[in-house]
Formats: sequence, structure tokens, C-alpha cells
Amino acid sequence: MNRKTSRFSYFTAGIIKENPTLILMIGLCPTLATTVSARDGLGMAAAASFVLICSNVVVSAVRRLVPDSVRIPIFIIIISTFVTLIDYVMQAYQPALYRVLGVFVPLIVVNCIILGRAEAFAYHHGIIDSFLDGLGKSVGFALVLFIMASIRELVGNGTFFNQPVLPASYRNAPMLFALFPPGAFLLIGLLKALVNKTGLGKS
Amino acid sequence: MDWPLVIKSLLTLGGLGLLLGIILLLAALKLTVRVDEKEIAVRAVLPGANCGACGYPGCDGYARAVASGKAPLNSCTVGGPDVARRLGAIMGKEVSAGEPPVAVLICRGGRAEAGQRFQYQGAKDCRQAALLLGGPKACIYGCVGLGHCASVCPVQAITIGANGLPVIDEKRCIGCGLCVKECPKGTLRLIPRKKLVYLACVSHDRGKAVKDVCSVGCIACGLCVKVCPVGALQMEHNLPVMDFEKCIDCGICVHKCPTKSFLDRAQRRPKAVINDRCNGCGECVKVCLFKAIVSESESATPLAQSKSAGPRAQPGKQHKVIPDRCIGCGQCGKVCAPEAIDLVSTDSG
Amino acid sequence: MNHFSPAKIFLAAFLVNNILLMRFIGLCPFFGVSTALDTSVGMSAAVLFVMLLAAWVSWVLYHTLLLPLGLVFLRTAVFILVIAGLVQFVEMFLKKYVRALYSAMGIYLPLITTNCAILAVTFLNIDYQFNLLQATIFAVGTAAGFALVIILFAAIRERLADAPISPSFRGYPIAFVGAALVALAFLGFTALFGIS
Repeated sequence: MNRKTSRFSYFTAGIIKENPTLILMIGLCPTLATTVSARDGLGMAAAASFVLICSNVVVSAVRRLVPDSVRIPIFIIIISTFVTLIDYVMQAYQPALYRVLGVFVPLIVVNCIILGRAEAFAYHHGIIDSFLDGLGKSVGFALVLFIMASIRELVGNGTFFNQPVLPASYRNAPMLFALFPPGAFLLIGLLKALVNKTGLGKS
Repeated sequence: MDWPLVIKSLLTLGGLGLLLGIILLLAALKLTVRVDEKEIAVRAVLPGANCGACGYPGCDGYARAVASGKAPLNSCTVGGPDVARRLGAIMGKEVSAGEPPVAVLICRGGRAEAGQRFQYQGAKDCRQAALLLGGPKACIYGCVGLGHCASVCPVQAITIGANGLPVIDEKRCIGCGLCVKECPKGTLRLIPRKKLVYLACVSHDRGKAVKDVCSVGCIACGLCVKVCPVGALQMEHNLPVMDFEKCIDCGICVHKCPTKSFLDRAQRRPKAVINDRCNGCGECVKVCLFKAIVSESESATPLAQSKSAGPRAQPGKQHKVIPDRCIGCGQCGKVCAPEAIDLVSTDSG
Repeated sequence: MNHFSPAKIFLAAFLVNNILLMRFIGLCPFFGVSTALDTSVGMSAAVLFVMLLAAWVSWVLYHTLLLPLGLVFLRTAVFILVIAGLVQFVEMFLKKYVRALYSAMGIYLPLITTNCAILAVTFLNIDYQFNLLQATIFAVGTAAGFALVIILFAAIRERLADAPISPSFRGYPIAFVGAALVALAFLGFTALFGIS
């Protein structure tokens, strides 16, 4: 296998085979909390992706300078820098989204996906590979967020990206259950069961 | 570019980081626990099953106790004598390897022997079934038989037999005692591996109450207590309690018990054989509870008359043992003055 | 300033806005540790311990250092650094001086560093503009809510382990469904009152 193909596989792995939320089972908190509407889900995915890709690249760039014993605090500093960045950018340019996401924006810093990839991948691989890995995981994460958010918004509100989709008769009495925590848990449970059934995670 | 702000944030974050670093460095210097080298060596030797059979919290706990000299070196039943020897080498002490005990089921009431009070439909777990009025078995003390012991056994030594009772593979059993702890009914126990005879019943009822629910349950008749040659049995709460120190595994209780509630782990029992040193004193006849010793005799004296069929034993004549009746308890040999009785193993080779 | 009474803060943190089931914070260790009762209790103890300490230290640092110096934007970095350092220090301290506590919950301490719940509490203390006492009550209430749910869930999962479940649902899926049902029960508490 030449370098070109293996490089690209770092990207594709993150989408299905090593999907962070449904296969690796990390990054569950924002997946459940921010997927009440499709727009919020994608907004969260965008913010987390930014932090993931940037921190992967930076960690990979400095990996030879960082001694093993202090690597976790260093990762945390790098990640928190980008989180603070996206925090203030979102506050300035997307205040409505920022209000909805609330405490989950600063919580990106402890998102298991980001720290996990820094530790498991970026610390041991080159910059381009780490970039591709981050990109792949971001796409996978965004995919799951989008699917969950779309279903929850559709079922719980009858809308999609705040555009009414289902008939008014449904939208007047939607299944609010989907918007609340129990609905989120149930949906991700069913999605995970589906993944298990179709054997997507097995290589 | 707001330089004062940049300087301030750099100093604050940098200062905070430095402070944290210093605190942690000091902590690392002052708070490190001196790790005992011996403890590491001991821990490396242990099997790592963390079963708790040694009585300490996991292998780490046992390693710590051994390294500090507080634990006996032969407590690891999983590792057995081999580990005990290696521990002895590390600690520089002599060690006597203890043999691990073996788990046995102290209930004989399977599907053939004990009935069911109701049909249980629920999770296939003894603990759950036992919560429902003591379980579906007619005898409320008995083994539930849904296999929780089999699922917790770390070496898969337990399987549920066709009779609905767990079958323990004695060769695989490591005597860790996990099944004993996990059984909700307490129908498993650990006994020393060389112990051959044990009571297989835990019912505290007596007589008809037991017979109604199980054909092999102890009815507390007390016969075993009477016939035990060494007085190793004592009735307590309608069950004979065996003193393992006194018991000689003769097997008399096994055969005398009317409900066959005792079990004998011995694969084969020897048989008594009388050689020609016999002087016909007849002492052996007096002690044999199974009427297995007889002698050829023409005239039967009233003394020798007995209700059993077959030849009668008479003093003054060469005695011999009827092999089918002999259970190999060895009581005859104990009273034979000319030492004319031998216990011969019946292994066919 | 706010006008929340201590009881209201505690109940809101404990039940109404339960950190695990209503806020979805702290889920990763939740699903990993709640498979057995004893690990759940150990984790809860560790969470209470660290959450309280982290709440205090972060609150003090924020109000004495960051706020006066106008360095509010540094709070993300400062809080997470403090938590990481605190956990490290506590682990070493316990290992040396309170061995019993260390063996009970020591292995969970490194896991707690990335526990969203700890960081969330430090942030929420600021967002709700709590004073130190209110922050303390909030931290204790949150930790109690975490403990309640994780221990409850451990009991459920121990039973689930023996139940006949179809292969695709075994493990995480059925745990999620279980969580959905418990969350449904907790949803009933929103009728009490709440700080959102």
C-alpha cells in the first residue's frame, strides 16, 4: 500500500469504520445535548471540528518538543486555546447559536474525541496525517450529529432547519418526547443497535 | 494591539502554570510512596486472577500483605504450590504448599428427586429466582439450578447437568470459593480435597416435611449419628454436622442413611479380605454393620441365628467377607487382634 | 446577585437539572463505570471530592484573579488546568496519607480530569453568578445527582447483564434505552421548579 492510499484511509476511517460517536463511543455528551435541531447540531459539529483539526495539527507539529510526562497538560493548553478562540468567535458572529449551545462550547475542551485523538494519533503521526485524521473524525462526528439532530427536529417539531416539513396537523401536536433527554437516549440507543446489526464497525 | 492585556494574560497564565508546576513537583518529591521492591517481585509472580480466594483484596492486596510479612505464603489457591514455592524464594522463607480445597454441591435434589412448587418464568438467574418465595423448587432450601455458579466460575469448572443441578469438574476446580459466595441458597461449599464423604443436604426440616418435597433430603432421623464409629456427626437444626477432624471417611453413614443424603467422592472403595491368620474370635462380626462377614458352619447355634439369609458367622471358624455387602469401612480390621483383615483396593488396573 | 435559596439550588442540581440525565454532562465515564455497583460508588465518591475542590479553587481564582485583571477570556484554560493539576495532586496526597480512600476511588481520579461534569460545574457557578456558599451547594448537589443516577443505573445494568437481550442491542444500546427510561422518570421532576 503506497503512502497516498494509506494517507487517505486516515480520512475515510473516521467517517464510518472508526466513527467517534457510534463506533468508538466517545464524545457522547454534545451528541445528545446539542442535537435538538439540525442547525444547532451542525453548529456544534462545526465548532468541535475546528478545534479538533487545529489541535491535531498543532499537537503533531510540536510532538517532538513535548516530553512524555507532561504531554496531557500540554495537549490541554493547546486545545483550550482553540476552544477559547471559537468561543469568542461564536459569541461575536453567531450569538443565537452561542446562546443555544451554552456551556457546551467551553466543554469542547474536555470532549473525549479531541483529547483522545491528540493522545492516540496526533502525538505519534505527522502533520498531514493528523490533519486528515482530524478531518475524518470531524466528518464522522458531524454526520452523526446531523442524523440525530434531523430526526429529533423532524419528529419533535415537524421542521427541518426551522423550515416546516411535516403537515401542520402533526406540527401542532408533535412527539415532544424526541426533543427531551429520554428521546435523545432512545434515539442513540436505536442508532447504536442499528450499527451493531449491520456490522458497520467490524473491520 | 493591546500590549498591556497581552502581557497581563501571559504573566497570569504563565504564572499560574508555573505555580501549578512547582506545587506538583514538590508534591511528587514529598508525597511519593516508597514502592517496596519485594512487593513488585511478589506481584509479578502472582497469577493476576484477582479472585480474592487468598482473603486479600485482589492480587495487589495479597502482594502487599506478603511483602510486609503479614500474609502466609501459601494462600494463593489459583497459583497453588508452584506460586507458594516462588513466593518462598522471594521472601527467603520455607513454605509448605497447602492443597486448595474443592467446591461441592451440598444438595442432591435435582429434577428427578425434588419437585417444583411453581413454574418460574423470568431471567435465567438463581439470584432472581430465589427472590420469588425462595425459588421454584418444592424444597425452599435447595439448589435453584439456573446456573449462576457456572457463570461466575473463573475457570468454567461448573456446568448444569441433565438433572438440573450444577456439576463441578473437580480437576478444573481451583477452590477459589467464588461460587460459594455467589450462590444465593448456600448450597455450595468448599471442602478439603482429601475429604471424601460429605452431607449433600441443607434442609432444616425433618421427616415428612422433607420427604414430601424431596426423595433424597435429610429427614433428620439421626441414624448417621448413631452408626458413626468415631462420633464425627452431631445433629444441629435437623442436619448432621460433620467434624472434619474426626471423620475418617469410612463411608458407613453413606450406606446407612435411609434417604441416601450423604455423598462419597471416592471413585472406588476397597474391600475387606480375611486371610488365614483368622482365629475365628468373631470380634469383626460384632462391629460389622452390614453383616458382611460370615463363616461356613454346619450347626447354627441360637446365638448366631440372624434374620438375614445366607450362611451365618460362627465363632471358632475361619471367617470370610461377602464382597457385595462390604463397604470397605475398615472397622473390622481395627478390632482384629491377629491382624487377619486387609483392605484391598478393587482397582482393576 | 441572585435570589436563589440554598434548598432550591440543591434540589435543582440534584433532581430537576440532573447533570447526567437532564444536562447530558458526564456521560462517557457514566456508561463506562456504571456496569457494577462498587465501581459506581467509588466513582461517585471521587466525583464529589474533586467537584467540591475544583468548584472552590476555580471560584476563588476567577473572582480574585481573572475578574479584577479583566482576564475573563482565560477562564477556559485556567479552569481546566486547575482541575488537571488538582486531580494529580489529590491522587498523590491520597496515595500517601489516606490509603483506604485511595484504594476505594484512586483509579477513577485520572478519569475524572476529562469528566465534563467537573468543568461544567465550574462554568455554571460563574454563569449563575453564585457566591461561594451557593457554589458549594451547587457542587454538592450536582455530585449527589451524579451519584444517585450512576448508582441507580448500576443496579439496573447488573440485572441487564443476565437478561436475554438480542445481540444487536447488547452493551451500549440497551444501556441507552435504560437511560432513556430513567431520564423519563427524572423528566417528571421538572414540574417541581428549576433554574434553567
